[in-house]
Amino acid sequence: MKNKINIYLIEYAINSILRQKAKNFFIVFVFILLIFLLTSIFFITNSIKYELETTVDSLPQIIVQKIKAGRQYDIDENVVDQLIKIEGVKDVVSRVWGYYYFANTGVNFSIVGLNEYENQYKNSFKKIIQNVELEKGNTSFMVMGQGVQKVLNENYYDKYFNFIRPNGTLKKVNFAGTFDADTELESNDVIVVSKDTFRDIFDMDENKATDIVVKVSNPKEISMIASKIKLIYPDTRVITSDDLKVSYQNIFDYKSGVFLAIFIISLFTFFIIIYDKSSGLTSEEKREIGILKAIGWKIDDVLKEKFYESFIISSFSYIFGVGLSFIYVYIFHAPLLQNIFTGYSQLKTSFELPFIFDIQTLFLVFFLSVPSYIGATIIPSWRIATLEADEVIR
Amino acid sequence: MIELKNITKIYGINTNNKVIALEDINLKIKEGELVVLRGASGSGKSTILSLIAALSKPSSGEVIVDNKRISKLQDNFASIYRRDNIGFVFQKYNLISTLSVKENIILPLVPLNLDVKDVEDKLSVVTKRFNIAHKENTIVRNLSGGEQQRVAIARANINNPKIILADEPTANLDEKLSLNFIDILKELKKLNKTIIIATHDPLFFGLDFVDRELKIHNGKIIS
Repeated sequence: MKNKINIYLIEYAINSILRQKAKNFFIVFVFILLIFLLTSIFFITNSIKYELETTVDSLPQIIVQKIKAGRQYDIDENVVDQLIKIEGVKDVVSRVWGYYYFANTGVNFSIVGLNEYENQYKNSFKKIIQNVELEKGNTSFMVMGQGVQKVLNENYYDKYFNFIRPNGTLKKVNFAGTFDADTELESNDVIVVSKDTFRDIFDMDENKATDIVVKVSNPKEISMIASKIKLIYPDTRVITSDDLKVSYQNIFDYKSGVFLAIFIISLFTFFIIIYDKSSGLTSEEKREIGILKAIGWKIDDVLKEKFYESFIISSFSYIFGVGLSFIYVYIFHAPLLQNIFTGYSQLKTSFELPFIFDIQTLFLVFFLSVPSYIGATIIPSWRIATLEADEVIR
Repeated sequence: MIELKNITKIYGINTNNKVIALEDINLKIKEGELVVLRGASGSGKSTILSLIAALSKPSSGEVIVDNKRISKLQDNFASIYRRDNIGFVFQKYNLISTLSVKENIILPLVPLNLDVKDVEDKLSVVTKRFNIAHKENTIVRNLSGGEQQRVAIARANINNPKIILADEPTANLDEKLSLNFIDILKELKKLNKTIIIATHDPLFFGLDFVDRELKIHNGKIIS
């Protein structure tokens, strides 16, 4: 009775691979490296894309900044009262925010001041304000992103942090917890304090804000309302969400250009291997096919064996390469390659790439690698197998 | 019954280097007959074996085995014909030197996808018959010339073929090993196999169990 799977043929294919250990080991090594590189690029790009889309969606509709001599200055809080009067404007909130340089580790944190009685311009901030009191009596509290907490813990700040004011005195702020990031890129490096604490830390006037955020009722009117604001306050810069999207997109496009370069190099190397493989067999390989045919193997028996051989090599490389890529990107957070895009967040605190399972990516890499390798192996074998066995052996 | 009818074989027929290997050969070999093809190198002996094994096709004429036109077979059918009917012992044995004795011997059975027991039974028969059972797991390149030849003979017989073809079987052997091979031939003859040997080794000439000796010269049978 015949077995369904021809164990002897598979065994022969495995033996055939092992007989050319050095050559096949090299092919598998290069193949794994290329699949790993390609998949990692796709994984990282997908994660950044996801981050970008989520970040862009949460951007304010209009931001108003005070500009003097081409530089941004703090804006008067009373501008809020004027802006709310413009027809079509739904809400106006002043923001206080900035960057705090933590010299111990040379990183910048984004620091945001919130007032619990105001409307919040982001949903994530609403949740923080609902759950945490940022001021209790004379004690200040802060909520931070997980990246910030990690850095502070590493520097032995487990319960509170001492901010250094511009005059050199210290402002003690207790930890009230961390928040779940809507997006890693946006909030991993953020510290949220009360507006009073913020002004205390940075010695900012009470009637000043960093900028003002405007919400409109009808998103189609954003550009028109932005023009009106510019007319009323010619000394301001009015940024719409579309302007921000373009600037984020530009950064992403620049980063994806670097990935594209690595991607092209990987593909190029891969196709050199494929070309080399498909351009012919060694005299030893040809002779072996001749012998197999001479002792009664049919053309399709030879091709079946070559299929098993190339399938074992390419699928092993694929599984190993993709597996390594998973570990590299989602467990080790893509060291080296990550450095290419960390500048994207502007602040150099660490962030984790969100896990995006994209079956299309896995299929794309599979079809780029496995069938092309199998084809490149089978075609030259088929050319030899269709010759007269006598001619091949001679 | 093997019959070669008006066989001509020209190598490189469409090139400037064409070589006429066989010219208008007619030959009939009966079942169970042992025939020795004598002749110098390049006389055309190996080409006759190659045509009978359907390893190549004649430029003109027909090869008929058991009333089947072998020379007209398509490649895959030629392979099946070889697998079921022919055991070929090549001059340089054509073993795969990096495989073990067992792996080489069972090679013709691999595409058949037989049960392990069937394969082991067939292997056991030929390894015992040709005295190579004790070397089953040895890698072929580590064997002596005589042992390699026995592996090649065992492989040629694993499918119990009706026809055994041997091309210069003693070319790489010393006299003692050549005589051993002649003993093996006697045994195969007793099994009623049709055997054709192409050789220029004088050891094969005038043997009492050889049915016929044919002399080939410049692609023609001259006696």
